[in-house]
Amino acid sequence: MIPWLRRLASTRLTLFGMVLLAIGAGLSYDNPADVSVWVLAGPLLLLALNLFAAILTQPGINRRPGLLMFHIGLLSICALAAIGRLTFFDARVEISQNSAFDVAAVDEIRQGVFHLGELQRVQFVQQAYTVEYRPGLVRGITRSHLQVGDGRGGWQTRVVGDDTPLIIDGYRFYTTFNKGFAAVLTWTPTQGEAITGTLHMPSYPLFDYKQANSWTPPGSEEEIKFWLRLETGLDREKDWLLDVNKSEAVLVVNDGEQRLELQPGQDINLPGGQLRYEALSSWMGYKIFYDPTLKWLFIAAMLTVLGLCLHYWDKFRHQSMASAVVTDKQNKMRK
Amino acid sequence: MNDAITELPWMWAGLFAYAVATLLAFRNVWQIGADDTVAALPSRRGEGKILLAIVIGVLLLTIALAVRWDRLGHGPFVNLYELLMSQLFSLGLIYSIVYWRVPSLRASAVVVLPLIWILGTWILFLEPVDSRFPPTYHNDWLWAHVGFGKIFLSFCLVATGLAGVILLRAIPRFGRCFAHMTDEALDQLAWRFMMLTLVFDSLMLIAGAVWAQDAWGRYWSWDALETSSFMTWLSIGAGIHVRLTYKIPIRLGALVILAIFFLAFTTYFGAPYYSEAAHKGVI
Repeated sequence: MIPWLRRLASTRLTLFGMVLLAIGAGLSYDNPADVSVWVLAGPLLLLALNLFAAILTQPGINRRPGLLMFHIGLLSICALAAIGRLTFFDARVEISQNSAFDVAAVDEIRQGVFHLGELQRVQFVQQAYTVEYRPGLVRGITRSHLQVGDGRGGWQTRVVGDDTPLIIDGYRFYTTFNKGFAAVLTWTPTQGEAITGTLHMPSYPLFDYKQANSWTPPGSEEEIKFWLRLETGLDREKDWLLDVNKSEAVLVVNDGEQRLELQPGQDINLPGGQLRYEALSSWMGYKIFYDPTLKWLFIAAMLTVLGLCLHYWDKFRHQSMASAVVTDKQNKMRK
Repeated sequence: MNDAITELPWMWAGLFAYAVATLLAFRNVWQIGADDTVAALPSRRGEGKILLAIVIGVLLLTIALAVRWDRLGHGPFVNLYELLMSQLFSLGLIYSIVYWRVPSLRASAVVVLPLIWILGTWILFLEPVDSRFPPTYHNDWLWAHVGFGKIFLSFCLVATGLAGVILLRAIPRFGRCFAHMTDEALDQLAWRFMMLTLVFDSLMLIAGAVWAQDAWGRYWSWDALETSSFMTWLSIGAGIHVRLTYKIPIRLGALVILAIFFLAFTTYFGAPYYSEAAHKGVI
């Protein structure tokens, strides 16, 4: 056997790697931005090499099926965790009700250097949602309704939530606390085509006291300020269901010269065009997560534990725990 | 205190039963020490009484948990009060089973029961505040995570009890009380429980990671509890590695087990002090 491979398989090196990994884990607490990923990657790489060398060179490991499975499992977890960090994707997105997921709207992106970027293939349409609240505005279950392609050219409804993600092509979409109301507006310029879009208000009910936003029409320099005066039935002392279908809102428009309150369907003439408040709508903020190794990590981890169990079974099945200290003869002598 | 907190009398009664079991355990061991017979054995009747007291304590705590569960509509998973209450139940339950099935470790009761009573004393100083079930807790993996965690801590406690006996045997004043055992046998038994601890700690972390992926969209994020539990897992692995590889002295091995238990204990019950919730982002 190659001498350096034996040295690499050293049990002292294993212990050293474990100590380094413990230090790395301590430094990684709460994911501080100023700590390098190498405080964890370095010890893991060292332990992976040590494990690999031990599997090859140590008969005590490679001739015992359970122990071999355990060590291969550990090595696989190290490798898969590394692949996961190289290929992961993590981001946020806000999607308006009755709008399709738009990859251009994805924000706060963090991704591994080898992430293939197939998010543009994901297609679904956001519909309405409900969120349960208990007294004290404690958020309960979120039920967000989506239209998802059924693979045969049709659509099917899916209901997702905080812990029941929509999974398409490995991308997982989780609802978050970040969601709110939106106003559907149509802007008809004096000359040109009318455009319709949604104006998102701040997260609700987190910012229920400032449901305001502003917008500057195309070709104009005048900013228009909007305030949504909501009637949602919000009661901090009782159970409450946030449901856009049971909510109403008056849109207060202020362009600096005039202040007008619009009901859905009403419009207002402004310099440069006409603005119509079509309807009250909503938006949902999603966390997007992608890691192609998740399934394999789970399998590797379970096989690792299984290997450990097999090893213990093989090692201890002929040794009764009950006979470890007091012998049967002594038991008979008891008072 | 809220009059509606109907589980309290049951919990106090359960703690009283544990206190009786603790006193009986001390008496049983003390009687061996006082016996002039060389290598006197513990009284089987005395051990039966200890087991009975623990089982009664477990039953009373089961009622306390059931009453609270029924009142709040969810299990004891959320705040520190519930965490301590459910641990008092699960540690007592698993220890009573092990105590019954493995007679050779019964002397460990003089270490294990006082350790359980640390939790018992702690919970007496806590307000039994009601908790609200977070949306992320409606997940089947929570059950697996919590279940494996309870078995893990219980086995770690058993190993700690045996390690404690090894260390007590080294003190001449107490040596006679445990003269019917050998350090070698206690050491083997303690490390066998540490190996089981590693298995269930691993399963707890796996189930927790799957739950975290569903609940918060990530399987690991180095929050307070995750960092601490990884340190615990690593320390158990390192402890077993050292024990098997270097044949360390038995008493040093016992100290290593105590250190691992301390780490596991602070992971369970210390994290709430430096993290707002058991898991960051729980709400």
